[in-house]
Formats: sequence, structure tokens, C-alpha cells
Amino acid sequence: MFKLNLTIAWRNLWKHKIYTFINIAGLSIGMASCILIFIFIRYQLSYDDDFQHKQRIYRVVSNWKYLNGTDASQGVPIPLAAAVRTEMPQLEKVAAIQRTTGVLAALGESGEVRFKAYEPAYFAEADFFDIFNFSWLAGNPKNDLLAPNTVALSESAAIKYFGRWQDAIGKILRFQKQEDARVTAIFKDRPENTSLPLQVVFSYATFSQKNDKSWGTVRSTSECYVLLKDGVQIRDADAAMEQFNLKKYKDNDEAGRQYHSFQALSDIHQNGRYGNFAGRSIEKSELYSLAIIGLFLILTACINFINLATAQAIGRSKEVGIRKVLGSERRQLIIQFLTETLAISVVAMLIACVLTEVALPYMQQLFDEKISFSLLQHPIIFVFLVGLVLLVSLLAGFYPALIISGFNPAMAIKNKVSSSYAGGLGLRRLLLVLQFTITTVLIISTMVVMKQMQYMREKPLGFNPNAIAIVGLPGDSLSLLKHENFKARLLAIPGVEQVSLFDVAPSSNNVSESDFSLNGTANKDFQIRTMHIDLDYFKTFDMKFIAGKMLLKSDTTNSYVVNETFLKRNGINDPEQALGKLLTVNSVTAPIVGVSKDFNDKSLHEQISPIVMSSNHLDYYNMAVKMDSRQMVNVMAAVQQLWNATFPNDVYESSFVNDDLNDYYAAERIMGVLFRVFSFVIIFISFVGLFGLISFVTNQRTREVAIRKVLGASTFELLRLLNGSFLLLVFLANLIAWPLAYILINQWLNQYAYRIELNVWPFAAAMFISMLITLITVSLRSYKVAGTNPVDALKYE
Amino acid sequence: MITLSNIEKYYSNKGIKNYVLRHVTTQIHPGEFVSIMGPSGAGKSTLLNVLGMLEQPTYGKYEFMGEDVSLLKESKRIELYRHHIGFVFQAYHLIDEMTVAENIEAPLLYKKVGGAERKSRVADILDRFNIVAKKDLFPNQLSGGQQQLVGIARALVAQPSIILADEPTGNLQSTQALQIMDLFKKLNQEEGITIIQVTHSEVNATYGSRILHLLDGVIKEDEAVLT
Repeated sequence: MFKLNLTIAWRNLWKHKIYTFINIAGLSIGMASCILIFIFIRYQLSYDDDFQHKQRIYRVVSNWKYLNGTDASQGVPIPLAAAVRTEMPQLEKVAAIQRTTGVLAALGESGEVRFKAYEPAYFAEADFFDIFNFSWLAGNPKNDLLAPNTVALSESAAIKYFGRWQDAIGKILRFQKQEDARVTAIFKDRPENTSLPLQVVFSYATFSQKNDKSWGTVRSTSECYVLLKDGVQIRDADAAMEQFNLKKYKDNDEAGRQYHSFQALSDIHQNGRYGNFAGRSIEKSELYSLAIIGLFLILTACINFINLATAQAIGRSKEVGIRKVLGSERRQLIIQFLTETLAISVVAMLIACVLTEVALPYMQQLFDEKISFSLLQHPIIFVFLVGLVLLVSLLAGFYPALIISGFNPAMAIKNKVSSSYAGGLGLRRLLLVLQFTITTVLIISTMVVMKQMQYMREKPLGFNPNAIAIVGLPGDSLSLLKHENFKARLLAIPGVEQVSLFDVAPSSNNVSESDFSLNGTANKDFQIRTMHIDLDYFKTFDMKFIAGKMLLKSDTTNSYVVNETFLKRNGINDPEQALGKLLTVNSVTAPIVGVSKDFNDKSLHEQISPIVMSSNHLDYYNMAVKMDSRQMVNVMAAVQQLWNATFPNDVYESSFVNDDLNDYYAAERIMGVLFRVFSFVIIFISFVGLFGLISFVTNQRTREVAIRKVLGASTFELLRLLNGSFLLLVFLANLIAWPLAYILINQWLNQYAYRIELNVWPFAAAMFISMLITLITVSLRSYKVAGTNPVDALKYE
Repeated sequence: MITLSNIEKYYSNKGIKNYVLRHVTTQIHPGEFVSIMGPSGAGKSTLLNVLGMLEQPTYGKYEFMGEDVSLLKESKRIELYRHHIGFVFQAYHLIDEMTVAENIEAPLLYKKVGGAERKSRVADILDRFNIVAKKDLFPNQLSGGQQQLVGIARALVAQPSIILADEPTGNLQSTQALQIMDLFKKLNQEEGITIIQVTHSEVNATYGSRILHLLDGVIKEDEAVLT
């Protein structure tokens, strides 16, 4: 019976080729999108999931409460790790880990440098490896990573620096040209999906600032991980941490403002607020919105299925009637129709798997992640596929099966099942409205996302980022002496227009903040952002003054330039009045000599900070090279050559300001692409479904159309008749979609400090697009019917 | 075998009753070949549908093999379809997506006959009806008379005790119609299958043993056919 059902199913599908194609095309594209989304979400959820004690691992993080907001950091004060270890009995293990970036050099037998690279390295306490279980190829952190000047390498780092990991043991790795460490242990490479991308780990004893006692300084590079004792609840540990905060910051400047809390390991990748060493995170809300889009996709495809199947049911009523008088039970008919749906779903799934394979490289490129699509490697994906097929078959097949199998045989045999009975015209309308509501919401969202992206690309930032490269500078005392001479020689390269030395570019996420006093009055309400710049900074970045002038020439701080926001926050209305006021930052008091026009110093998600700029040549570890845009390639090569000749022991690093700015919006770029792709897919599915539905409706109305024609209706009048109901439904869907889209998109836009205002255009455009496509789809189909000879149509009855 | 007592069927429309069947009372015995005749709109097809349990009468009692049909459960009725009743339609009503052999096999599947027996019974009947060569064709590849042969073969394969035929020759040319009527007569006389047919044709009616004349839903005349 099952085999026969399958054969019949196959013949039926073949007979209605267009219907089958529409169903399978819509379903497989919808399914492929769902699979991609699932693979991506699974991958994101798999971060940091491979540790034995993952349920009990927490990170200690820092938080601040200010009058006008809050702040958070993944880091903790350096003395915190030792303090919680002795003071919090709830913790089984506590380990500090410090990140740094510098020049790593592998030494050969005779002490010569064999290979060097500028890379991140870590200092970790041995307990770190009790909290996180790594697999060790050689050595053991308990014994081999305690002494100063020892280092553990990952397998691939060992191969990179020393050729073979077996050869690395006992060799010397030099850090920042001064610290030599012996390789004592090798661990297996960490998977890609980790927030702890450790390659080179020095013993914590090697860390020069390990005895720092400052509780007021929090660097995002100093993290602390803890392992809760078995059986301890996190809320008990939280309570203990509250007591700890009170005690530590009792008589402190930071009292009431700075406090620490525990963050679960599983939250680290999914919470961008704190950040992590891998620099990769994804917000839960993004995962949710992706999941919702996936659900929408599959829902739209299923709606197609239901609509087409119930519309087609009338054509199959005869078969149902005959089967019933031949002795078929309703249950058997339901099974038969579900078999057909299942067959379609399985075929669609196979095509979807192929589509997924084709699309995966693009998605990998989009997300810049290694995502694997292997049924064997991740059985959960296989389970998802099977689940999806079953869900779709039931969701899309059960209702039509129920309707079709319920036909009265006497009526069915005579083909007298009315279209309204066959699957409730009302329900089909409802589904169509639902489908187009989803489609319209996505069209509107896509347009707004695109507009906001364009706004961010085009908004004047207050400085000119074009044709400027940022080049790193070594900051050791020997290199510092070479800075000025290097700058002069760079300016001699043809095509170099300006060169400026500084610590951070005008827009950067690398933020140093500080307290300050203005005219002797200390400010406790907010902190200012400090930047250290040389005299060519404004010229290089084409920034403007609104009052005063550039800093006085000096290697150390003897004057300040502030920005407009600084004045506003301090209640100074006239920029001229600010000039000459005495400002104290980091215990250095000097007059304000200039006020700069505001420029966006962070991404457009955030407001402009109050900024204080001053000279300090000790902090110039970056350099901007403004070039003639026509000669950039040659100039960059020449700059690199000169750099390598000047600083032979260091590693050259450079980037373009424009690229750095684009990096702020990587998430938006991804969202933008996803929105465009998925809304296109949904539009495609919806309209293909509409096309199919209209085909059936017009077929059913062939007789009505013929009679009307005989009565004298023109083709145009007939088109209007057939279009009318659909246009009304799509219009209704638009009305429902508008407020929904407004709420969703406003929510999304609210995360930007600088955002476009919503106007009526995206909404009107979405309506126009959806109505136009409906009109075209319906007219295309119904034109044929309206054009048929009424004699042919009426002959059937 | 069949006892109808005072069967009534009407449709109400705004309080007005449109009678399709009135006071239909009759008995049909095993082995009879009954023709129901009458002009269009006399209620012939409705009476046949009632007999085939495809429609419920509004009033009256219908006993099939001693059981009150109005009290039958759905599953029991399906049992009757599977074992006792075969339908033959004017428009043949073969399933278009199935081959000749599959169409004939379908009732056996519902009757849950084993695979081997199914094959032999289908082969038997194909042989008897001389349509072995056609077994892998689809209905739309056959002539009307051939399709109706398949329709009858399908009705017979489940070895029913009664065949209900609604104008079985209505769509056929006269020579084909005569063959079909001969076949019915043979089945009735040689295998003792009870046959009830609806027909317009006086000639066809004479193949049977008894004629029920229907007019405006009332049995006007119950005549025996003399041979």
C-alpha cells in the first residue's frame, strides 16, 4: 500500500508539474535558508562548550555606575585574583590571565632570531588549566608553567616558530626583545569556536606587572576566571561578591561606582557588552532575530503548500470519492495525502541540502568564521533535518489532508465540491494575509536597514579618513629616539602628504579615560577621553578648530585642546571663554589653548565623548600617513621598506582608517546582507505561491469568466475582477505589517546614537512593491483565462 | 437482501420542502436484476445513492442484509463497501493516476487481501474481460467502452454480492452498450450477483428481471420482465 501510495504521489506530482515545481522550489529555498540559519546558530551556541567543568566556570567582570550611565569591562584590577582566592571560600579555583601583544621571536641554537611575528600572547596562572581542561602533547602546566620565564605553546604556534612541535621543547622564545622564556609545554590547538584563542601562554610569574596593587585601574586585558566549588549556587557566590565589593571599595575613590560580578562562561560569547579575548561575540538578540527569520521562512513556505494543496484538492475530489466507495477509510486517505507531502518535503530537503552546500562558502565569507556542514560531525544537524522534514510535512500536509479526506463521496464523485468547502476560502485568505504581512515587514525592515547603513557610510564624521594609513610604532626607549627622524624621512617620500604621531586615531575603540579638574574644581560626574597627539594631527585628519589654536610645541604636556562636547558637558557656552582655563588631567595642569569642532570619536552607535588632547611623545605608538590617493600602493610599499630599515627588530603593522571605520559596522553589514537575502527569498516564496494559487483560482473560475464574457465583459473588466480580491488582501496585509514593522525597526534603530528618522517612504514603497508584484502576477495568470474562448470553457459542463 | 420501508428524502429551502423521494417501499431479493427507470429529475440517482449509502434518507427505514443502515457506524459501512457492494458509474470514475491493473487492484488493497492472491485475482479478471494487453495503460488511453469494462472489473474483483450501476452505458455507443448489458446479464444469471441499475433505456431495462418506474420520487409501477 505504501509503495503504491508513493507511486501515485509521484504520478500526481508529475501531472501537476507547475504546482510541484512551485511547492518544491519554495520549500527547498525556505528549508535551505533554515538549515543555514540553524548551522550558524548551532555554531554560535557551541562557543566555549568543550570544557569539562563548563557549568561551573565563571569570569569576574567589572562594572561602573555613573550619574549619566554605566560602563562595563571584561577586565578586573590585577590584585583582584589573589584577593578573591583568599576571601571567597565558594570558589574552588581562581586564575588570572593577562593578554598582551608584542613581538615574539624564536631563537635558534646560537641565540640568533630565526622567526619573529607581532602577535598576541598571554600570561596565565597554572590554575587556569585546572579550570579549563586543555589536552597536552608535552609538559604539564602544574609543573612546567610555574617558574618565571617559561612558556607553553599551542601545537600550531610551536610549528610556526620552531618547525616541529617536538623540536620546540626547551627552545627559547623572546618577548618584546627583552624577555626570554623557555618552551616547557605544548598543548593541542584550540577549536575555532572559542573565546580564549590561546597560542602562546607565558607563566604568570613572567608577567612584569603581576604585583600591581592598584584597584582603581581596570584594563580589559586582565581577566580573571573562577571555578565554583561543586554544589555551590551562583547566587551564593553573587552574594559573596557583593560583600567583597563593599569591603574592597569602602574607603576608596571608586566606592559605590566600581563593582565586580560573575559572568557565566556560556554568556561570554553571547554578550558584547563585556567583550572577550577572541574579539568575537554575537548578541542573543541577533540569534533570536535570525531564528525568527528562519521561522518566518519556513512558515511562508508551508503557507504556500497549504494554499496550493487545498486549492488543488477540488481537482482531486473525484479520486477521493472513488476511493471512499471502494472501501477506503478516512485515516487511509489522510495517510495517503501525508505520504505525498512527505515525498515533496524529502525531495525539497535533498535540494535544500545541495543549496546549503552551495551557499555555505558565501556564508563563511560573510561571517568570517569556520562553519562546518557535516551530518556526521554534528549529528544534531541531521536530527534538525529530519525534524524539519517531519514538521513541514505535518504543518503543510495535515490540514489539506484533513480537508480532502473529509469530502462527501457522493458530492466528490460528481465534482460538486465547492471551492469554499475545499479548505475554507476564509482560511486561505487568512494565510495569504499572514504570508504577505511577513513579506511586507521584511521589505520595510530591509529598506530601513539599508538606509541606516547608507547614513552611516555618508555621515560626515568631522574628520577626513580617506587615503590615510595607520602604522604602528615601537614604543621602547631606543625606538622613541628615532621617531622624529623617521617622520622627517617619511615626508620625503613622494606621495606622502602629511605624517602625524599619536596614540589613537580620531575614531577608535581604544579608549583611555581619566578624571579631571577644571580651574581647580574636581569633576566627579563624568570622565574625559584622553588622546595624545602631535602638532600635525589636525592637518593630517583635516580637523577644524572653532576657537583657539593648536597645542604648543612640546614633547610633554604643556597645553590642552578640548572638543565641543567637553564644553557642553561642562556648561560652557562660548568656546572663546574656555581658552586659558586651567585643566588638570593625570596630575598635569596646563591651559586650554584650543577647542576643536566635534568629531565622531567612536562608532555611530555611541555619542561623542568629551575629549582632551595633549602632547606626550612617550605615548606615540601609532602614526598616520596621509597619502596622495593616486599613489597609495607605491607609497605604502616605500613606507614599509623605510619602517623595516628603521626598526629592524620589530614587526610592521598597518591598516587604513577607512577599513577600521568599516570594522565598526561588521555586524550591520552582516545584518544588511542577511536582510537583503532573506527578504528576497521570502518575496520569492510568497509570490511564487501567489502565482500558484492564482492559477488554481482562475482555473476554477474559468466557467464564471466564460459566462461573464458571453454576457459582454471586456478583458480589462475581467482582469479587474480577478485582481480585486487579491489586491485587497495584500493591502490588508500592508495595514497589519506597518505598525509591526514600525515597532521592530524603531527598536533596532534605537541602538544607534546617530540614526535616521523613520518616515513614511519605506512603508509606502513596501506597499507599492507588494501591490505591483501582485498585480503583475495576477494579471499574467488571469490574462490567459480572460482570453480563452467561452465555448471551450462552457463545453465541459 | 434489501428492504426499504417508507423512504422519504427532501431538501428544505426557506421552509418549503422539495421532495426527491416519497413513500418508497420495496424489497430487493438476492439474485434479482432490477432496473430503475424514469424521466430526468424523478429521483433515480438519489434512490441509487440511498441504496449505496452515499446519501441518508430524511425518513424511513433501510435494511441491508438485515441491518438497519441508519444505525451503522462509519467503519461498518466501509466494511460493507469492501465486502458486499460494487459501484459502476456512468462516467466510469477510474482513478486517472493509476494504471488499469492498479485500478482493479485498489479495492483488494482496502480489503487487505494478501499480495499473491491480489495478483492472481487481478490476472483472472483481466483475463476474463479480455483486457490483459491493456493492463499497464492509463484510463485516458482507453476508449469509453474499455474504461467501463475496467470499471466493472474493479467492481467485481472484490467479489461483491450486489452491484449498483448508475447509467452504466450512458456515455457509450450502442454496440459497446449492448456488450456491457450482456455482461451484466451473464454476471446475474451465472454468478447470481444482485444488480441494481439506473437507466433511461427501455432496451437496457429489458436485460433485467424487474423494472421500478419512478416519477417525481414515487414508485409508480413495479413490473416484472418476462423473458
